[in-house]
Amino acid sequence: MPARLRGRGLLRYLPLLPAVLLLLVFLAGPVFWAFQASFTNTGLTGRHARNPEWVGLDNYQRLLLDPVFPLSLGLTVLFVAGSAVLGQNLLGLALAVLMRRARRSVSALVGTAVVAAWVLPEIVAAFAAYAYFSRDGTLNQLLGGLGMGRPDWLYSWPMVAVVLANVWRGTAFSMLVYRAALNDIPTEVAEAAQVDGAGGWQRLAFITLPMIRRSIATNLMLITLQTLAVFTLVWVMTAGGPANASTTLPVLAYQEAFKFGDIGYGTAVASVLLLIGAVFGVGYIRLLREEKQ
Amino acid sequence: MTAPARASRVAPSSGTANPVRPRDRRSSPADVALLVLGACFVLPLLWLVLASLDAGAGHETKVPAALTLDNFAAVLTPGLLLQPLWNSLLLSAGTATVTMAAAVLAAYPLSRYRSRFNTPFMYAVLLGTCLPITAIMVPVYGLFVQLELLDSVPATMLFMAATALPMAIWMTRNFMDAVPVSLEEAAWVDGASRMTALRTIVLPLMRQGLGVVFIFVFIQAWGNFFVPFVLLLSEAKQPAAVSIFSFFGQHGAVAYGQLAAFSILYSLPVLALYVIVARGAGNSFAMSGAVRG
Amino acid sequence: MRRPALKSMSLIASALIILTACTPESPESSSKTLKVVYQKTDSFTALETMFQTAKQEFEAANQGVTVELQPIQGNDDDYGTKLALALRSPSTAPDVFYEDTFKVRSDVDAGYLLKLDSHLDGWADWAKFDDGAKAAGRADDGGTYAVPLGTDTRAIWYNKKVFEAAGISLPWQPHSWQDILDTARKIKADDPSVIPFNMYAGKATGEGTVMQGFYELLYGTGATLYDEESGKWVVGSAGFKDSLGFLKTLYGEGLAVSPAEALDANVWKKVFGEWFPNGKLGATVEGSYSPSFWQDGGSYEWPGYAQDMAVAPFPTQDGGAPGAVSMSGGWTLAVGAGTKEPDLAFKFLSTALNRDNSLKFTLDSSQIAVRSDVAGDAGYQAANPFVKDVSGLVSVTRYRPATSDYPRISAAVQEATEVVITGAKSPEQAAADYDAAVTEIVGGDKTVRK
Repeated sequence: MPARLRGRGLLRYLPLLPAVLLLLVFLAGPVFWAFQASFTNTGLTGRHARNPEWVGLDNYQRLLLDPVFPLSLGLTVLFVAGSAVLGQNLLGLALAVLMRRARRSVSALVGTAVVAAWVLPEIVAAFAAYAYFSRDGTLNQLLGGLGMGRPDWLYSWPMVAVVLANVWRGTAFSMLVYRAALNDIPTEVAEAAQVDGAGGWQRLAFITLPMIRRSIATNLMLITLQTLAVFTLVWVMTAGGPANASTTLPVLAYQEAFKFGDIGYGTAVASVLLLIGAVFGVGYIRLLREEKQ
Repeated sequence: MTAPARASRVAPSSGTANPVRPRDRRSSPADVALLVLGACFVLPLLWLVLASLDAGAGHETKVPAALTLDNFAAVLTPGLLLQPLWNSLLLSAGTATVTMAAAVLAAYPLSRYRSRFNTPFMYAVLLGTCLPITAIMVPVYGLFVQLELLDSVPATMLFMAATALPMAIWMTRNFMDAVPVSLEEAAWVDGASRMTALRTIVLPLMRQGLGVVFIFVFIQAWGNFFVPFVLLLSEAKQPAAVSIFSFFGQHGAVAYGQLAAFSILYSLPVLALYVIVARGAGNSFAMSGAVRG
Repeated sequence: MRRPALKSMSLIASALIILTACTPESPESSSKTLKVVYQKTDSFTALETMFQTAKQEFEAANQGVTVELQPIQGNDDDYGTKLALALRSPSTAPDVFYEDTFKVRSDVDAGYLLKLDSHLDGWADWAKFDDGAKAAGRADDGGTYAVPLGTDTRAIWYNKKVFEAAGISLPWQPHSWQDILDTARKIKADDPSVIPFNMYAGKATGEGTVMQGFYELLYGTGATLYDEESGKWVVGSAGFKDSLGFLKTLYGEGLAVSPAEALDANVWKKVFGEWFPNGKLGATVEGSYSPSFWQDGGSYEWPGYAQDMAVAPFPTQDGGAPGAVSMSGGWTLAVGAGTKEPDLAFKFLSTALNRDNSLKFTLDSSQIAVRSDVAGDAGYQAANPFVKDVSGLVSVTRYRPATSDYPRISAAVQEATEVVITGAKSPEQAAADYDAAVTEIVGGDKTVRK
């Protein structure tokens, strides 16, 4: 690694200014306000709209007693673990590995299909996913055609449906990351392994994966954080239902703040979400740091 | 990872096939597996295409009784499609440009100077990606009211740029790390300032990476519904993400065929942009540079 | 809250904005401006038409006053969100706006709406408004804060062909819940592939569940949701349990749609678009606006609806007085509490709602007239074959107790219906859960056992 050069004091950090200003004014400021609002009973309408009162930890206490909250917390973890950590990550890796072995035309074709879902505007992707999983949707038409049952995905298996939809939508990111990471593995290493007679699986497990482990850790962190914030996809597909069976934390925060006009409670939920993001983030950073040493 | 390995990726030859894969060895199991996976990714889009060509579309997937372009004709009006698309283009391109400019400036000191403050800063910023924007829209609206910025397209761009900055700075910093400092040093000897060297030497070398950042931000802005909906008041300024809601009637009735046709026309520009950028960036989409830790 | 912090951020941000060359709108000239906010979608332009006309009339009659129309493109929820945000700040609050009846009370609590009593006294047309509809704009203090644009009622819509095929004599009019069950069972026995009698339930259909379903049951038992006199929410009523029990029977015997279908937010589209036109549904509880879906230019055009469909008032539990139950919603126009020109704002409101504009809007959006001169118009009465039936229900109709707690209470009711139709809980358990939820939401001192 090239030695980073010494500059002249704080002045050399001047180029950071525009970004820092933007982040402070438009992101940190509102986040701070939101965090503060979580200690009040601020409402969108009603008697607390204009004259909110400080209620201390009431909103957080309510969260702990609210039966929906633990459910929502669990669903959020399930959603992130299922669709990002397992789904997008493993499928992305599998696609990247397969693409190196397949014909070039095939991998280009499939790559385009995978990326198309990622490039689609969120709202369009969400409608497409809704139509796909709906009772008379494509998936059930296929299953029916194969003589299997036609389960009511959005009703009986709402989490399965939204997890699969998010895998469909987000795998492209991991695939692109892993394709590029695999391309960076020096040729000699792979050839040496082949000469040693290592099989495909062995090469993958003992040579390829360890070599791209930093890409894996970073990719996991990024897709985890991105998946934590997913709202539109779930909202359009199930709106959190039935019976809160797919109410992830962003959906819960939106419902509380806008449907029930309880901004104080809604921002408390969002604050918890940020905390979870921090916990995940610190976890991955630890992982990365150990790698460095 | 070593610096030479990184630098090799930005060399002009990076688009060529990886020598690890013997070019003539064909592995049909991999082809088949890939094609199956690819088909899974295409299936949810099937409804979109079929419904757009069907005058009597519902959310079931069916081959239209008669193919018709009526849906496209119905949505291809200046008020419904063209003006909103133009607005989307303006908003997304503006957001992506502002984001990239701020990200490049910010990435330079983060990449070139060694400081204990760099890493915590990066991670703190990155945490912003897990925040659902809906959770902070109330304070953001309040901020815009205070600043009298409601209904201002440039201000909306700035806000969207702020939300996109965390990922953008992270990616840009990593791309910049891959450009060896030694190349810049030569320019300094010639008397160029750091910013001149950044512009003339570093940026051209990382243009693939910049393309990746640009399209990443552009796609997000293109699909964003809630932010422009809340922050822009005039109908004439609203992007396509907002006008797509025209297809939901007062009592929520949906014109499915038109919705599908609109979705397709709305998605085409980003798909096209992706193809252009991906071509320029070589087949691996230069992605791993974006996320290396 | 946090105004100081926002202010200091403002300075930084202003500098930033100037750098990026923002063009702020030029300061307003000496002429007066009224800002009008309303909802508009591609398929809902009746309001747009009304305000465009009113703008022309008003500007011609009031020189020097400009009306600035600011339509919001979005569904009801998104419109509500954006309007609420605008109302929060005096500088963005509109002078005149389109307001859902069920938000009136909470927005009055928030101090967003101007009390209109003194203005209404001087408006001759006000006497022509229906008394029941006037109640929709009234707040807890007895003052009127909003003027109704139109209203709607709910009734049973049934398919005559399906009923005939099952040998039920027409016209059909149930006199009790038992009549409904008897008829539904008969239809099912005759043709099991038909859905005999649907009622919305569960959270997916949202307000549809309570407005076109549960409240028709509850208010027919003699119980209420909210005790207007004491201002308290009712818990522990037998009527609540009975109503849930009826839904349990209906869904349990397969007389309604399957629970899975009921919990799909789009189930009502099938009701209008598929099941009724195809003769797959016997009857359902729906709004007076139903014909607007089937008319020319509607979302689900069905030329035969006038011949095939019929309307019957929803009966009370045992046929007790007044014999029928209906619910009403609808929208109003209101004036912002912070308006600088209250007289002009009200004048614009009264222009928008004069006889001609009201008539056109009522016809365009299939509303029930709230003005006697509109109701008496021949064009209105001939708009569709059911105008007379559904308008008559105004005499028995009820409005939601739309306090600021209402959205949560409504969600708790929806939850109760959901656990009952899915069989997760018995009506008794669900009612007990509802009581606990209400107590949690409003506090024990705001509930009353009846």
